[in-house]
Amino acid sequence: MTYNIKHIFWGVILSGLSACGSIGDDGVGAQVADLAVGIVTGRATQAAPAPALASQEEILSNPSNFMRVNIRDLDRWATMVPAATNGSRVTWVDSENITITVEGGIVVATRGMPRDLMGASATQTLAAIRAGGGEAQRTHEFLDDNDQIAQELLQCSIVSKGSDTVNRLGQSLDSQQYEEVCVGTGLQLTNIYWVNGAGRMLRSLQAVSPGAGYVQIDVF
Amino acid sequence: MKQKAAFFAISALPLAFGTTTYAQDIPINYSLFGTPGLLEMPSAHTAPEGTLATSLSYQEGLIRATATFQLTNRLSASARYSIVDVYDDPTTNILSDEFERSFDFHYRLNNEGAFLPAFAVGVRDMFTPGRFGSEYVVATKSIGDNLTVTGGIGWGAMGTRDGFSNPFSGLDERPVFDDADSDGQLASDYWFRGDAAAFGGLTYQFNERWGAVAEYSSIAYPEASGSPALDGTSPYNFGVTYRPRPGVQLSLASLYGSEVALSGTFTLNANNRPAMSGIDAAPAPIKARSAAERNEQTWDRTTAPEAGLRAALTALLEIEGLTLTGLEVTDTTARVRYTNGRYRSDAQAMGRVARMMTQVMPNSVQTFTVEPQKRGIPVSAVTFARSDLEDLENRPGAAAALYQRAEFADAGRVDSVPAAQTDDPRFSWGLGPYLTINPFGSNGSVALDTGLSLRGRYEFSPRLVASGAIVQSIVKADADDPTEATSNGIHKVRTNGSFYGDDGVPVLQNLTLSYFGRPGNNLYSRATVGYLERMYGGISTELLWKPVDSPFGLGGELNYIAQRNTDMAFGFDEFEYDVVTGHLSAYYDLGNGIHTQLDVGRYLAGDWGATVSIDREYDNGVRIGAYFTQTEISYDDFGDGSYNKGVRISIPQDFFTGQPTRRSYGTTIRTRSGDGGAQLEVDGRLYGIVRDAHTSDLKDTWGRFWR
Repeated sequence: MTYNIKHIFWGVILSGLSACGSIGDDGVGAQVADLAVGIVTGRATQAAPAPALASQEEILSNPSNFMRVNIRDLDRWATMVPAATNGSRVTWVDSENITITVEGGIVVATRGMPRDLMGASATQTLAAIRAGGGEAQRTHEFLDDNDQIAQELLQCSIVSKGSDTVNRLGQSLDSQQYEEVCVGTGLQLTNIYWVNGAGRMLRSLQAVSPGAGYVQIDVF
Repeated sequence: MKQKAAFFAISALPLAFGTTTYAQDIPINYSLFGTPGLLEMPSAHTAPEGTLATSLSYQEGLIRATATFQLTNRLSASARYSIVDVYDDPTTNILSDEFERSFDFHYRLNNEGAFLPAFAVGVRDMFTPGRFGSEYVVATKSIGDNLTVTGGIGWGAMGTRDGFSNPFSGLDERPVFDDADSDGQLASDYWFRGDAAAFGGLTYQFNERWGAVAEYSSIAYPEASGSPALDGTSPYNFGVTYRPRPGVQLSLASLYGSEVALSGTFTLNANNRPAMSGIDAAPAPIKARSAAERNEQTWDRTTAPEAGLRAALTALLEIEGLTLTGLEVTDTTARVRYTNGRYRSDAQAMGRVARMMTQVMPNSVQTFTVEPQKRGIPVSAVTFARSDLEDLENRPGAAAALYQRAEFADAGRVDSVPAAQTDDPRFSWGLGPYLTINPFGSNGSVALDTGLSLRGRYEFSPRLVASGAIVQSIVKADADDPTEATSNGIHKVRTNGSFYGDDGVPVLQNLTLSYFGRPGNNLYSRATVGYLERMYGGISTELLWKPVDSPFGLGGELNYIAQRNTDMAFGFDEFEYDVVTGHLSAYYDLGNGIHTQLDVGRYLAGDWGATVSIDREYDNGVRIGAYFTQTEISYDDFGDGSYNKGVRISIPQDFFTGQPTRRSYGTTIRTRSGDGGAQLEVDGRLYGIVRDAHTSDLKDTWGRFWR
């Protein structure tokens, strides 16, 4: 597991550097939230600057408020914070205006990446994970080079790979590992999920789009 | 380590979209003519649909610059500039550096099969005088993954080596071009006539980067008046090709035993955007209301006063590079008018406006109407149910469903929405370099002009704008002034263009006052007065009828103009030429990216005629088009080129950079432009402004609404 620790170490360093402009000042989500609340009510205030570097303590002491993402094909690590909630879906934003929307830990949309995942369904996969394995049908939509929506219908099979330990930020967390293999006419992908005993997704490795490739997500 | 292995195993994802129609592992080889082929000879292969290849080749006595576009899977067209030495009459005299334009067509008849080669027919340099004019039938077969074999029969220039009598009886006589005949006419009288000759060759690809070409050329370059003065002694040509990366082919060739040629070909495909879907910053997520909030009936004006909404929305749109120009809110509806200075796709700008509206609009507002405004006038109104925006966000099928449910309509009247106060200054200016390539220089050569341009703009109101530009050329040569203003009774309305602003002092490029209006439903109007363009000043008026959801538009333009003095100051007395011009125009979006325009009317020289334009537009904004104009002026009196025609290419900047911008790169390749069929150039023609925000164009990029 040295691999994970090393990457998370670099993740902390890099996300710290890239967040120098501070999340609050740069992120559209944060700007919007601030302006919207402040200006309409006539209480336009400067948002409290978000921490330049989300420290280990900060992340661990604010459960559900941070997400670490490694966008592998873009060679980027990012720390994300929640920007908006729509039903069961939460959109997370990083300091450079990339957003990832998740439903129960499953990525259902991205913005700001090449050939964004414009929308996806996740409920059947979530149900299969809860059931300890099973089949799921997913629809993924991407934005193509001609500004059209390219739709992929995926047949997925979710199997449990047994228990595994997630090591991060000095913590060792018990989890169950699941592998989801999806096949469509123009697309084939494999996702891996680490889910704890309460059914909460701690970590995942998910294919998001043909342009952005895979993202590794750690939810704290 | 198990995860790591799994990770890398799946990192090589077969995330591939689209399919190719036929297997062709060998990269297309481009000839020195910039078309798929060997070196001087064509092959039957074609590039994938949407491929634009630009090619430059050099050898002693001949420079060729070619753009080839693959219009369909089988049909390609090329436009070429050549600078070539040509035999005079008598042939002992050689005219060096003659500037020639040529156009080619190439059509592949079938898909290559396991045993059956691909066959193609083509016409090279299809207009008179056709220095390289040739026609051919060619077959190409791939053998294995690395070898192609090509053989064919050529006519014209390609029938000049060891020709045999024409296999088609009755076509054995090929006319000889007479210099007294007019240039630039379709040379169909010549096609497939006269002697034919055989040609052939091979390409071999050693690896991804290196390849070799050998051919037997049927062009002999005979010493004849009007033919290129090139050596064609030996029929054998050999070349080496190098592809440092996909989309680039460099060639070095030995030609006819005596010459060396170099060429570079660069390809891009309109369907494969280098920036993929772009890397624009993420939009603000939709702010969804709770079930209780959705049921609110009234807008609490004390906690969210209208002035507050206005200020908030102004600031929010500013983040997106958009400007709020009008806002009207009731308990249940909100109407927003805005200008888009950032996004090529108006659908994307619209999506961002809608997202921002969800942030601030009172919970009771159930319906959003957004009205894009251009040149001070609203050009369409699109209405959404707020709950659709909330329910469809990030769902599969969201784009299609929202397009289905949205209502596209004519915009409200200009003054129907209370204007938003903008802090934008009324006066703006800019100073920057410019570069123009003028393909109709005074002596038929390409003239390059570069210098500084100072632009200013003053808004009396969003609809009434004064603007002007002063330019200082820094390379333009001082040409001799025109000696005669008319020839053959036709006023030189364009061919004297190179004398304009050639004195080396700053000149007034344009200075106009323009007014845009909405005189009625589906109607748009423009009036422009002043120094409209480099050569003409006066008044230009236009009226356009274009329903928002119709693919069809009708317009009329009427201008009264006078020719400016060549010093490009304020005077009009040098030529004492004034004329009334105007057109009736029909615009039709045929679908599948084909746009057509027909203009019928009176041109600058007072000649009556028509212009037909046809463009292939990709949804990502890449545009390739052609146009031609025919007027009552006879070919002989027309001036060079017989009639106005040309091709134009335009590629949006975001195609390459992925950053949102409304800028694009473009160029027009014309045959030599004469005085017949010439149009006034005036800024702000309505159709191009209006159509961007109408249903058909919005639909083209609707995938970006949610981006």
